[in-house]
Amino acid sequence: MDKSMLGDLDGLPEEDKMRMAAMVDQLQIRDSLRMYNSLVERCFKDCVDTFRRKTLDKQEESCVRRCAEKFLKHSMRVGMRFAELNQGVATPD
Amino acid sequence: MAAKGGPSNLEKEQMFGMAEKEMEYRVDLFNRLTHACFDKCIDKRYKEAELNMGENSCIDRCVSKYWQVTNLVGQMLGNRPQM
Repeated sequence: MDKSMLGDLDGLPEEDKMRMAAMVDQLQIRDSLRMYNSLVERCFKDCVDTFRRKTLDKQEESCVRRCAEKFLKHSMRVGMRFAELNQGVATPD
Repeated sequence: MAAKGGPSNLEKEQMFGMAEKEMEYRVDLFNRLTHACFDKCIDKRYKEAELNMGENSCIDRCVSKYWQVTNLVGQMLGNRPQM
């Protein structure tokens, strides 16, 4: 999510532009924090199943790393496609 | 009321409120879309950190279909909010 979400702001007075920009920033922060939490929850649920020890074993740690990286890559791709659709770009089936 | 003919303060506040709601809606839409397609397309065993070709195509098609569902449901709800 970025400021291109705001569309055409050029007609607005300066203070209104700043207010909209502040709104976007706030949404962005909230969204990042939410993403952090949901990613942790997801990777924990998918990768950690045993509780014989207090520390993550090597397998669990690799799994979490791959999970997080995969989700971030996925999220970026979704973002690209979402932006295309928003702009009405035609794409192959 | 100002003689200038621009929006009143109340109208302005309403516009900002609407804009904020619209933005929140879009963020929520994106997040739900992302999670839905992750669940549908990605193998939870996480054998590797990269997305393979199958997953890439699945993601593209999933996003497209989710978008269509959004528009379809929007139509049925009477077109609020506009895409």
